Order: sequence, then C-alpha cells, then structure tokens
Amino acid sequence: MADLDLVTPATSDEAVAALRTLPPEETAILAGGTDLLFDLEEGRLSARHLLSLRRLPWRTLDWNGPTLTIGSTLPLRTLELDPEVRTRLPGLLEGVRAVGSVALRHRATLGGNLGRSAPASDLVPVLLALDAEVELLGPTGTRTLSVDRFVQGSRRTARGPSELIRAVRIPEARPSAYVLQRVRPFHDISHMAIAVSFSPSDRRWRVAVAGFPPRPILLPEAATFLGGEHPDAPAVLRAAQEITERAPIVADRRASEEYRRQLVRPLLERAVRAATGGGG
Amino acid sequence: MTIRPDLAEKIAGRVRYATDLEVPGMLWGALVPAPVAHGRLRTVDLGPARARPGVVAISATELAALVGGRQGDRDRPAFPRERVEYLHQPVAAVAAPSLAEARAAAKAVRVEVEPLPVVSDVDAVFPDWPGSSAAQHPSVAAHVHARRGDVEEAFRTAETVVRETYRTASVHQVALEPHACLAEVEGERWRVRTSTQSPFGVREDVASILGIPEESIVVEGTWVGGGFGGKGASFVEPWALLLARAAGRPVRLALTYRQEFLLGRTTLPAVVRMETAVSAGAIRARRVRLLLDVGTSLPGRDFATGYSIGFLLGPYRTPTFEVEGYAVRTNKPPFGPHRAPFAPQCAFVVESHLEEVARRVGIEPAAFKAAHLWETGGTTPFGQPITDFGLAAAHAAARELADDWRRAAPPGHGVGLGMGFWSTSTGAGGEARVTVSADGIRILQGEREIGSGSVLVGLAAVAERRTGLSRHRIRVEYGDTASAPYDAGVFGSRTVGALGRAVDDALVQILGTLAQRAGAPTPVRLAEGERGVELEGRGQRWPIADLLTDEERAQGGLTAHGKHYGRGGKIDESLVVDGTFYAYTDFTGAAHVAEVAVDAQTGSVRVVRYAAFQDVGTVVDPPTARAQVEGGIVMGLGTALTEEAIWSAEGRLLNAGLVDYRLPTISEAPPIEVTFVEGHPGAGPFGAKGLGEPPIIPVPAAIASAVRAAVGAHVTELPLNPERIARALKREEP
Repeated sequence: MADLDLVTPATSDEAVAALRTLPPEETAILAGGTDLLFDLEEGRLSARHLLSLRRLPWRTLDWNGPTLTIGSTLPLRTLELDPEVRTRLPGLLEGVRAVGSVALRHRATLGGNLGRSAPASDLVPVLLALDAEVELLGPTGTRTLSVDRFVQGSRRTARGPSELIRAVRIPEARPSAYVLQRVRPFHDISHMAIAVSFSPSDRRWRVAVAGFPPRPILLPEAATFLGGEHPDAPAVLRAAQEITERAPIVADRRASEEYRRQLVRPLLERAVRAATGGGG
Repeated sequence: MTIRPDLAEKIAGRVRYATDLEVPGMLWGALVPAPVAHGRLRTVDLGPARARPGVVAISATELAALVGGRQGDRDRPAFPRERVEYLHQPVAAVAAPSLAEARAAAKAVRVEVEPLPVVSDVDAVFPDWPGSSAAQHPSVAAHVHARRGDVEEAFRTAETVVRETYRTASVHQVALEPHACLAEVEGERWRVRTSTQSPFGVREDVASILGIPEESIVVEGTWVGGGFGGKGASFVEPWALLLARAAGRPVRLALTYRQEFLLGRTTLPAVVRMETAVSAGAIRARRVRLLLDVGTSLPGRDFATGYSIGFLLGPYRTPTFEVEGYAVRTNKPPFGPHRAPFAPQCAFVVESHLEEVARRVGIEPAAFKAAHLWETGGTTPFGQPITDFGLAAAHAAARELADDWRRAAPPGHGVGLGMGFWSTSTGAGGEARVTVSADGIRILQGEREIGSGSVLVGLAAVAERRTGLSRHRIRVEYGDTASAPYDAGVFGSRTVGALGRAVDDALVQILGTLAQRAGAPTPVRLAEGERGVELEGRGQRWPIADLLTDEERAQGGLTAHGKHYGRGGKIDESLVVDGTFYAYTDFTGAAHVAEVAVDAQTGSVRVVRYAAFQDVGTVVDPPTARAQVEGGIVMGLGTALTEEAIWSAEGRLLNAGLVDYRLPTISEAPPIEVTFVEGHPGAGPFGAKGLGEPPIIPVPAAIASAVRAAVGAHVTELPLNPERIARALKREEP
C-alpha cells in the first residue's frame, strides 16, 4: 500500500467540498474500510487520497412510521442490535449478521457495503428485496435512486464522482428473510443466497438471488408465482423452478452453475418459510 | 495443572518475534517475483532499483562475489540464473531504509522472462496412469515401485475386486506468524536470527545454498508463532544474509501474508488409484498407484512419495501387493512438510476405500478393518516387525463409543470412524547439556518453543519424571547454534521423543555420578530441602551443594551432555523394484470418532462432536498432550472440509489469502473428547510416542466416514466441501 493522504471532513458540506477538489480516479471513500483497505493492501485498487466519513454525523437510525432510514456510516453492529430491526425487518437482520464477524461489523457500514458493491454482497440482495432506496448527496443537493438502479455491476454503482451515499431508506417494515449457502458457515463469502420479502401495502413478494457475478438481482417474474401472503408448497416449487430455469446464474471459482441452480429450491423454500414465520 | 512458562509473556505481548526485531542501521528487505510460472530469464535489471536512495539490490549475477567466489549447491541457487519455475519465484532481492522504500524498489526492478509452457498439474502430465517408460519422463522427480507376491494372479482369482480413484487437495500450513529473519554479516561471521523449527537445519541449508562453511554461520532461533512444518527448513535466511553482506548493514526480511501463500512449500495435490481384491471376507491383494504433485522439488530429493506409499497401504495386513508412485514436477513452489506430510490425505484414501470394499462384500466396515489391523508382533507388508502398537486397542475403544453415539444420533446425523498411523521421528538425532545444582536443573538446548509446548513443557516434564524434582526448579534454556548442542529440529513429532531422550540421558548420567559420590543406594531422585536441591535415596538425603567439586560449583553445577540418535527398523529390501522406501522408528496411531449433521439439500456439514483415542505410549504432560490432540483435530477439520489451494492452468494460486482459503474457525470447532491409550511403549523417554502429528492424521477419514453414514454420500475427493457432497448425493440418487 502506497502512502495515503487522509481527509476527514466533519460536516456534510465539508465532505462534498473536499470530494470536488480531489481527483476522482485517485480517491477512495473510507466508510469502515473492512473491504476497501484489503483491496488497497493487496494492490487491487490504487488510491492516493482517502476521504474518511468517520467524523460525519451520519451514524443514524430513524424509524418514521413504517419507514426506516439508516445513515450510511452507521456501524452494522448497531443496526444488528437494534430491537426494532430484529422484529420489523428480520431479513435485514439476517443479511447484516452474514457480513464478516462481530469485530468487522463494529467497523463495517451499510454505505460502505453498497458503495463497494461486491458481487457477493450479503446486504445488496436484502436491500433489493426490501425495495430500499439510496440517498446520494452531491454538490447540487440530494437525489434518490432505488438500490436496483444504484448497483450497476460488479464493483460498479451509479454514484457520481462527487457524490456520497448519505443514507439508505427502507420504505416499510416487512416479513422478510435472507438465506445463504457457503463453504464455511461463518466468516465466509456466500456463493448462493436468496432474499425475500412480502410487502403489506401491495401484497406482493420480492425475490432477490445473489452470490455470483456480476451482481445480486431481483426476479419479479419468479416472485409472482409465490402469490399471496402464505404461499403453499406448489407455489414455492413453481417459483423455484422459474428461478432455476431462467435466472442468469453463472459459475465462478467459488461454485459451479449446476450446484448453484440446485441450491435455489432449498434456499427459496427456507426463505419463504422463515419470512412467513415458519422458522429457517 | 501445569502452567506453560511462556504463557504470561505471550498474553502480555512481551514476546518478541522475528518481525519485532530491530537493530540500529537496519535495512528492510523485499523480494522481486518472477512474472510467469515458467520461462527463460532474459533480463533482471537492478538499475532502476539501485537508482533509488539507500537501496541495495542483488540477483544471480552478484552471488559469487558476495560469498567470496564460493560455489553453493548448483541445484538450488539463491536466485535462478536461466529459468524461472514457479510464479513469484524470487529472481532478485532488495533492501532499503524503510519497508515502503524496499517494496517500491522491488517493483522498480525490471524483469523480462520469455514464457515457456506451464505444467500446471499431474493430470496435464499424465492424464492416464503412465506407461512403463514414465520414470524417464522429464516431469518425473522420483519413481518408487515395490511388490510382493503374485499380484496379477490374486486379482484374477479374487471373488471381488474394487477399483477407485481418489483426489486430494493442496493445503497450506497457515502459521499466524510469517517467515521472518534478521541477518547480520561481519567479516566471515554470518549471523541470522530467525523464526524456525530447526536452527541447525537452517545452518546446514544456508551453508549448502551459499557454499560458505557451517562454522562461519550462527543461527539463533527466535520465538516461533506457529510452524506446522512450514518452518522446518531454510526459507528467507539465504536472501537476507546475502542482502546484509551486500549492504554491509543488518537486514530484516519477512514474507507478507500473501507471499506465505504464494511461495509456501507445502502439500500439493495428488491422484491415487486404489484396487483391492477380496475373497472370503479377507484382503487377498492390493494395488496402490500414486501421482503426487511435488511442484519444483528437486529430482532425486523427493521424500514424500516413498514415505507416503506405506500410509496408503494403511495399518492393514496385506499378503500380496503392488505399490507404485511418481513424484511429478509441476510449475508450483516445491513440496514441503505440513503437519504429518500427506498422511491425513493418505488415511482419508485408504480408510474410505476399505470402507467401500467392506460394504461391497457385505461386512461392517469397522469389523472388516479390525480383522486386518496390524498388531504388535506382526510384520508390515514391507516386512518390518511391528513393535508395541496400540492402534487395535484404540480402535476397539473407538468402535464401542461409535456404537453408543450411533444409537443416540437423530436423523440426518452420521457417526464415522477413521484411523491413521505414524512413527516418531527419533532417527533425527538430538543432544542437550543438562546441569544440576543446588538451585535445580538447567537444560540447555538449541530449539525455540514453537507453540506446541514440546520444548518448554515437554523437556521439563521429562526431567521432572526422571528426577522427581518439581517443575518450578527446572529451567529449559536455549542457545544459538554456536553455544547450544546439536539438535535436528522441532518436527516429525520428535521433540520429546528424541531431544527428550537426550535430556533423560544426561540426567541419568548425573544421577549416577551423584549417587556414586554420595554412596547412595539406587535408585536416587532429587527433592527440595532446606539447603536447596538434595539427592534422595531410600529416605536418606544429601544436599547437592555438598556433592559438587569446587570446579563444578564455579561452573554452576554438575553438567552432563546427553545424546539420542535413534535407529529405525528395516524393511525387506528384496520387495523394492525401484526408488526408496522407508522403515519406521516406532508405531503410533489413533482411532477417531466423528458425529456430523449433513444438510442433504445443500451438502453442508456440521461436526457435532468428536472423540480421539490416541496411542501415545506414555503421556508425559497431560494438559499439553490434550492440547496437541485438540489442535491437531481442528487443523484436520480444515483439511477434511474447507481447505484447498486452487491453482490455475497458468500456475497461479487463485486463493492466496484467508478470504478464499478457508481455515476452520472456533465457530466450527466441535466438543472434543480425548482418550490416551497407554501401555504400548514407543521410542521416546519412558516409552513416550510423538504426539505433534498423529492427531491430525485420522480426521479427514473420520469425517468422510461420518458424512457417508449420515446421508450416503461417498466422496472421493478432498476437501469434502458442500458442493462435492451435493454432487456425490446426486450421483447416488436412485
């Protein structure tokens, strides 16, 4: 890792101003660093300037009726220990607990995870299934994008060069679940995962699959097969078949395509069972 | 319960490892890696590195001048001259005033290599079992072949023949501490402080590689943050010494964690073909064929292939057999030892295969194995007499426990049994200088504690057992290779076995001398008294202070030099067709029982509980012995379930780090029950057998057996990761 120039703004204005003056191709944004520092150390990423979000007052967690707004620098561990998240967004809780270890989650942030947009992110599929939105702060103010629009590919997002992720908004509390498969149960990268949620407002399911490149994806057609709030076994099987046969699942060195497709049915069954109160 | 003397220092962070050493004027070293896995070296231009302030850079062309024109071992020069043979092979080294400057200088060296075709694995060399002329194949580093009896006839006439192919993966040692050393050269004095399992081995290697005489080299072991076989030979020391010579200043060189993976010498992949002929429930004949990837190991210096063959036959009576193995050179770093090198893989293969054989002939696998198991007084297939061996007793106890666990196991759970055997490497000799005074016992020897407790606890326990003096009066000290007596190293489960015998030898001499001087009736012991340590015999006591000469008092006590150079048994050499096979020093082993829960839909395995029955001869220190077994089992779970170094067709290691090279974590460590089977003495002091390596050996076999019992998946490839189990289950669907 080369010598780095660390910038630590204390206010949102300072942060945006600092970002405008730094050369984008030589600047990395530090929001926890559990993924970024690793890439810098290994030389997969080069940067001369690090803009740290550590001092910004963005470590917030606000419930407003059914809506949850999470400040982008809130440590995942704080999110994990929030009693309301546990009961109102169980899928988000499972996604957070899938990230690294307790020690890492004290450092890692939701904004960092989204901003880095790893193909095997455990949080992106959950946010997709929850219809989450990303609030971006830039020189001309804020704009809001769905997570689906924000995450563009492996390590690629719609964040402009002088924008920062300010917050993530989840529109409503939902029955939800996140189920994953790995070689090692803890401290590992998921090579297949499914997130589901059921929206009480439009009474539809969302299904996202993840764990393979280039990025986690929403599967709206498959979700329609699940039907209403309590899908029966044949409905889940039809949805699983739809995903198994049509989803753009690919192989990489962590798992073969065949094995990943084989995992769809058990993972979807478990996710729906967990989301509908049947346990994992 | 004994407290380990190094514990408080380590917990308080006061222990200084090689990466903590810093001396005035010190430079930092870095290595310059080869850009391809195989190629002709065209250019190593050190100019751009040397143009940077304070940078010293060396490559093959500087070697002779740096060692005064001497010639080291031509087969393993410090830097390659003409050809690079594995990716990241160091082709040059640099030193600079800071680590960042050293790394930048290493990057600045211009290296041009004309690529040659890469031999990535054994399948690329021998897609099928090689024909008879393969021993001359340029990729073959060694060929071993032995047979006994009419193998063809036995296979032709057998009632049942079972043929299977197994594959095993490359695993890393993954010590917490990287390889690191601090080198200082003054005139003809080459001195290196290094993290090593064998200071004397490093001295010998450095002398051989650089061509300088051993008496010019002093190696001092530092605290070792884990070895597991990876620190048994020299590694970074020759480069650091050459840099120190070139710079005229001390140089510290440490591998990065990534380099530990990229350059590490460890177990590489293998393909094993097993054939067994059975009639009337008894093994008639076996054929074992091994293709072992040995990376860039030197031709003619392969040890692994001939040694492994015995473990592939297993501890089973086999009247007729043929074994053949090829050490296949590939463009990977050289094969190196990893706790019981390749034995856990061999045990997995032979145990899984014989379980399959037993099932095919309709015999309960444990009963089939018990019926063929070696026992004391028998002979190995290679004709070596079997000395005191407790494996049959361990197996009987393990079977009983496995039956209990099976009866209690819920659906989806499976209970498995696996065995393995080993030999304490006391053939590698050791010496110790022991002094007894009124203050106690002082043991001076050449090894540093590597974390297992075998040096600081093991040697003290031997002295306590021999003399009766309590542990707080016994001090284990170390010296560098100039001041300490010779010892081969902390490897091969030999520290207590061989170095412990040297300590015991010295103490027996001292007790004999003291008894004679006192006119004491033997046997005598040592005890604490009013005037310090006293000699005791039949209730009478003599203060040690009164039994020493003036000269001895001035020198700090009565000193004796103990030695142990063990002898292995002999094999029947008439069975050998080609190559070298090895005899054992003693016979040790273990039977392990595992209970697992397998998710039949995803292939995930959870180890629910685990039990080990270890043939240990005599337990010298119970808490340390137990810790060795627990550690070996958890390490073995990695080999069994998750660890696998993955190499691309270009010879690139794809998972050079702990993200995708998956060690087991404490979350997966099951409750472990340890039972020691004593009473079958081995080569060590008081009949102790080595315990560093044996506990890892049966683990993959026991886990594979348990997985098969749980869901019926017969997996023939290590590690048993979820995808392989799921694939095996699919294959066995009706």
